[in-house]
Amino acid sequence: MRQKIGIMVVLISLLMMSIIAGCSNTNSDADKQNVKAPEQNVTIKVGGSSTLAPIIAKCADDFTEEYKTWNKVDSSLPEEGIVIFVSTGGSGFGMKSALDGTFDLGMVSKTLKDEEKEQFKEGEIIQLGSDVLDIAVNPKNPVAKVKPDLSKEEIKAIFSGNIKTWKELDPALPDRPIVVCVRDLGGGASEVFDKAIMEGTPISNQALQIPSMGALAGKVMDNQDAIGYVSSGLVNQNADKLTALKVDGIAPTVENITSGKYQIGRPLLLMSKDKLNAREQLFVDYLKSDKGRTVIEDLGYIPPAK
Amino acid sequence: MRYSLASQRDKFWGAFFFLIALICSLLLAAVLLFMLKESWPVWTEIGAKSFLLATAWNPMASPPEFSIAPMLVSTIWVAAGSLLIAAPIGFACAIFLAEFAPAPLADILRPVLNILTGIPSVVYGFLGAAVLVRFFERSLGWSSGESLFLASLVLALMVLPFIVANSEAALRSVPAEYRYAALALGVSKTHLAIHVLVPLARKGMLGSLALAFGRAAGETMAVLMLAGNILLTPGSWLDKGEPLPALIALELGSAVPGSPHYQALLAAGLVLVVIVMIINLLLNNYLHTARNEVNRFE
Repeated sequence: MRQKIGIMVVLISLLMMSIIAGCSNTNSDADKQNVKAPEQNVTIKVGGSSTLAPIIAKCADDFTEEYKTWNKVDSSLPEEGIVIFVSTGGSGFGMKSALDGTFDLGMVSKTLKDEEKEQFKEGEIIQLGSDVLDIAVNPKNPVAKVKPDLSKEEIKAIFSGNIKTWKELDPALPDRPIVVCVRDLGGGASEVFDKAIMEGTPISNQALQIPSMGALAGKVMDNQDAIGYVSSGLVNQNADKLTALKVDGIAPTVENITSGKYQIGRPLLLMSKDKLNAREQLFVDYLKSDKGRTVIEDLGYIPPAK
Repeated sequence: MRYSLASQRDKFWGAFFFLIALICSLLLAAVLLFMLKESWPVWTEIGAKSFLLATAWNPMASPPEFSIAPMLVSTIWVAAGSLLIAAPIGFACAIFLAEFAPAPLADILRPVLNILTGIPSVVYGFLGAAVLVRFFERSLGWSSGESLFLASLVLALMVLPFIVANSEAALRSVPAEYRYAALALGVSKTHLAIHVLVPLARKGMLGSLALAFGRAAGETMAVLMLAGNILLTPGSWLDKGEPLPALIALELGSAVPGSPHYQALLAAGLVLVVIVMIINLLLNNYLHTARNEVNRFE
């Protein structure tokens, strides 16, 4: 009996302690102080756009492999291991979390509105490159050979649901329904596409909303009747499984993008609410250096002009 | 306390545990109140009727339109569909495990079924997307394999262990006297199981359906990948749809906190919680007021 009471008391006090510990963390200002204090901030947490995530993750891996501890990057820093966490969640989530301190750097892949830029005016917005959205179809889809060049109006009609079958687009194509694949309607890629092509026309309500760019690419790769806007990086990485169509006669090649002729694009940004501390600055310098640019190019994105 | 002879110590511990139970219930109330507070402008400005019954969900339009009728229909259809598939299989498994299975076989089957609950739902969604979607597209020639039916199929697999475990427990709790009486009267085991034990255990079996419905209606990752996420009201089981959990998971990442979009998503979450609670309460109410036939003669 006494033993049972003893165990009971221990368990209940553990329960109480965890409740009290949970309650005392509601002061988020104190939390933020902890995270942003320069000398204690050893890990860098980066999160947001699922397009930027592979780039930053690869660069973080290379950076950690090459230097291993902070004092090798810059001898004024103490010898602590380099730890960089990269997570996804979408551009909106990246911006929100950069503002509330969950992430040190937010990854965002869309053009910023003025109010969004206002929120970061005390911090920094760094452009790492651009991503371009290709209109991609499955290589087995006859449209790649029959009609590889679509006008902006035709693309608008397909994505808004006015053209429902491939046959309606061109009589030489089979009479199969067009499976329109888009990203979630509030997301970064969706806004870019809306600004460049749809211009306010709502997307068809038969379009499949897919949670991430990778899954969208996978859907177009798997399904012969699918069409969707896929990030050019993914199209370049999977050149045998995805075919990009031309828009108004302009193909999404590097020259057309840097010259500005191909318009469906968005900047790849890193955003920080406060000025970067020493370690973050070193990592960002690495990202902007030649090594970072090579990673961006290898993954198929466009580094900023030098 | 029921006994007036309770000592001081009993009263103290009784009050203490009551307090802990109260805290748990208050947590639920706190969650509901938080969601109500965050989504309050939706209820005052758009109004419950328009939010729940109209069909336009267009957060990007100006002014933005928020109505979740298509998503409500999808949610209930997907959950009910999964129960339609899982209930017969689950009940049959439970009857087999309780009455007909030899002990060694039952000892293997039960843990295996319970392992199904341990598989993360995102794995179910991934397997469904990689295997079943492709199967529907290639073998059956559909233009795209995602549909409410596919989501129901995978959800049925996820809720099956709940139905089996609870139904088997209900069957086992029927007093042994009924089985002895059947033996004495020479009634076959099948007749005993189907015509005597199942009706006696039907409270527990129906209760397991309520639990399964709650799980199926709230399941997020699997339906996000399998239901197609289109904004139309589904007209048939084979159509695509967007259940409420998928809507919230898909759009919450890009909604700015405090914006009308965010408030609408929280309102949708509140609706989902309330629906599941109502179904649970209704079912529990029915089960409590229905006569408890097992104890009729005692």
